[in-house]
Amino acid sequence: MSDQKKGCDSERRNLLVATSVLGGAAVTAAAVPFVASLAPSERAKAIGAPVIADISKLAPGEKMVVKWRGKPVWILRRTPEMLASLEAVKEKLSDPDSEKSAQPAYAKNAERAINKEYLVAVGICTHLGCSPTDKLKPGTDEGVQEPGWQGGFLCPCHGSLFDLAGRVFKGQPAPTNLEIPPHMFDPANPNLVTIGVDPTDSKGA
Amino acid sequence: MAANSNFPKYQSDGTRLGNALEWFDARFPLTSLWKAHLSEYYAPKNFNFWYFFGSMAIVVLIIQFVTGIFLVMHYQPNANLTPAGLPIAFESVEYIMREVPGGWFIRYMHSTGASFFFIVIYLHMFRGLLYGSYRKPRELVWIFGVLIFLCLMAIAFMGYLLPWGQMSYWGAQVILSFFSAIPVVGDDISTYIRGDYVVAAATLNRFFALHVCAVPLALLGLVVAHILALHEVGSNNPDGVEIKKFKDENGIPLDGVPFHPQYTIGHDLPANVIMLMFFFAVLFFWPEGGGYFLEYNNFLPADPMATPEHLAPVWYFTAFYSMLRAMTWNFFWIDAKIWGVISMFAGVFILAFLPWLDRSPAKSIRYRGPIFKVLLAFFVVSFAMLCFLGTKGVEYHFFGYTPSKDSSPLSILISGAFHTKLWTIYYFLFFLTMPYWSKIDKCKPVPERVTFK
Amino acid sequence: MKTHAIKFLKRFAGVVLFVPALAMAAAAIHLDKAPVSTDQQRLQNGARTFVKYCLNCHSASLVRYNQLEKIGFKKEKIEEELIFSGENAGSMMTVAMTPADAEAWFGKAPPDLSLIARAKASGAGSGADYLYTYLRSFYKDKTRPTGWNNKAFDNIGMPHAMWDLQGEATAEVTFDKNNVKNVKLVAPAVPGSMSAEKYDDAVADLVSFLVWMGEPVAGTRKTIGIFVLIFLAGFYVLTHMLGKTYWKNIH
Repeated sequence: MSDQKKGCDSERRNLLVATSVLGGAAVTAAAVPFVASLAPSERAKAIGAPVIADISKLAPGEKMVVKWRGKPVWILRRTPEMLASLEAVKEKLSDPDSEKSAQPAYAKNAERAINKEYLVAVGICTHLGCSPTDKLKPGTDEGVQEPGWQGGFLCPCHGSLFDLAGRVFKGQPAPTNLEIPPHMFDPANPNLVTIGVDPTDSKGA
Repeated sequence: MAANSNFPKYQSDGTRLGNALEWFDARFPLTSLWKAHLSEYYAPKNFNFWYFFGSMAIVVLIIQFVTGIFLVMHYQPNANLTPAGLPIAFESVEYIMREVPGGWFIRYMHSTGASFFFIVIYLHMFRGLLYGSYRKPRELVWIFGVLIFLCLMAIAFMGYLLPWGQMSYWGAQVILSFFSAIPVVGDDISTYIRGDYVVAAATLNRFFALHVCAVPLALLGLVVAHILALHEVGSNNPDGVEIKKFKDENGIPLDGVPFHPQYTIGHDLPANVIMLMFFFAVLFFWPEGGGYFLEYNNFLPADPMATPEHLAPVWYFTAFYSMLRAMTWNFFWIDAKIWGVISMFAGVFILAFLPWLDRSPAKSIRYRGPIFKVLLAFFVVSFAMLCFLGTKGVEYHFFGYTPSKDSSPLSILISGAFHTKLWTIYYFLFFLTMPYWSKIDKCKPVPERVTFK
Repeated sequence: MKTHAIKFLKRFAGVVLFVPALAMAAAAIHLDKAPVSTDQQRLQNGARTFVKYCLNCHSASLVRYNQLEKIGFKKEKIEEELIFSGENAGSMMTVAMTPADAEAWFGKAPPDLSLIARAKASGAGSGADYLYTYLRSFYKDKTRPTGWNNKAFDNIGMPHAMWDLQGEATAEVTFDKNNVKNVKLVAPAVPGSMSAEKYDDAVADLVSFLVWMGEPVAGTRKTIGIFVLIFLAGFYVLTHMLGKTYWKNIH
């Protein structure tokens, strides 16, 4: 140890600092491709490209599921009764105005949708990633014990309850409402909804 | 300096970091490892550039481990075909090259690293030959080194199958077929290695397992053993004298300097920057290495129905491949094919006997006689020739000569086949006659202390 | 055991003895130097030719259409100009027929061309040189089932795909005393839509595109390389100076 101190002149110290800085920079630069390789590849991006769903056959009150980026995306065509229920359950919700939840700005409203008839939501519970099951009918028909159940979704893993806008009830394990993905309705054909694209984009797909 | 576990434990200087270090050092031999192998491992002060290659091998080893781990994240050892008809393994390598962000850089690092590993290892081994680094008491250091070289060859051979290109496939097919030369059990051995009657999906998957897991573990263990054995007996040097003979009052060799920082920063760091310049020059401007680092035919997917027109192993195997091809005679009722396999393996294993074959009074070439110098020069020629000829077809002739049907004596003298035999014989005779000529060679007196300008 | 070994050796020798014969044949063919370009206009031109003339039978299944943005195509342009099969820009450049069908129809599935420019390199020249020579060496040959032969690849299974551009090229075929085939290409008897120079240009663009496709990252790689080497040269000077400070007191 004492040997080293003896030889530790200022020239060496300056060179050591310069070498360490440049060496550190070099190692950081060399790490870039390695870290980058962890990101989704071109293949993953192509598979995760926006998908177009044809909703012409979706009857009021029905739900369909499309796959986007490997995740289930629900499209629920809500009846007027269903839409009315959203206001009724508002008191019981943890984040009724979706302040803490993930959605595009155009879906940060009471219906959490750009077109309020259609709920487009990522069907993945915000707790630990299970996919909630449909409990669309009001009452206890579907086995939901929640008093005054208006219809919604129940996560089978840890019992989180969501309303028909994907908003989570109070006192549930799930911290936030279901994520709303970017989505747009084709201006030329309102039966085509594109998931993964904001309406401001020049062109879908 | 021998590894010593009796270094005093770290004493805290009272700072929080110092306290943490003291706590740690009391429970783990951190200070003693650091001192025994770096700051108080005394290496001879007269190392020259030949002593760069060991540290370079470690740098390349790290490159291969890191890039290899990242490649495994994307590579798929799958011989099935994609809908477009390409094997998935082959396609996944190109997927890394084209679709994984930064993947091309990682893959080229790994493929360039394979060739660089052999370059630095061959030079590292040659250093040992020059200065007698295998001589007593460093026999085990050398033997561990030979085992590392064997592991390296195994890893490289198995890794080369993974891209599942034409050269991958047929290279493995031909080499594994040679195992069938082993009497009685040979056919079964090659079938068991392949897991099929030809190189097939089963071979790909087991080679993958061995390439990414089993052999690297063995290699790592051997590298540790190689270094531990070296630090037990101390490093040799270009003068081939023992620095432990002359020590100061503290027991530190008079001609020794601490490995760290004199050799780590003062010697190996700049040298490795130079090596990286060569490495990255190849990687960025010459990744195919003229068809030697990445063979052109390996850009064609493996096709079990058609052998490529020009079949040669990657450059680092060609010397031993030449030894295999040199044997075309049937001796003692044993097939030439078996002799080929024997000579190929003997070409590697004979190195392990070097500590006992060399009986020269001097270790280093600096004090050895003219016989050694001349024979060693021809040994280099023989190895280079065998390397070169292994990349060529059996019908190769020097000077672009094309043989006519009737072979004249001259055409034999300039034929590749003749030189393959000639230099294979020389390679083995160099070792086998060493006990004789190394003893009678006229050595110069060896100095007591190292020469240091 | 012994006969097995001998059989293997014979087969092995057959393979390796075959090599020089091929090498000689290859050496007899002079490869023209391909004027490979990295100019985006020329690469795009080559891509259009590729899609029109090659992609009907040969796939480039390692290349995604949207990667063509790297040679300056706009995403919309790719879908309008280059994709005819209703796929989207995220798809691979594949062909509709399966390899099995192709084998049934042609005897051998047309190879995937993603890597052809890298695979065809040899001692005789780069892969580009080979392709540039090959694509300009077709000639009419009545003895072949397709009616076409090729000076650079004798008895080729593939017909001349771009004959409408080059015209129906012919050749004078002679055999010397050792029965070695000698092919001399002559100007097309039936002219194509392009002059000889125009055709050479079109092939050069196509080959440039094939080279690009073989390794799309090649350009980026060389650019990064220059910076890395300059950095390391500077870093070496620094580490060398630092290293010397550790030795100045050792005598």
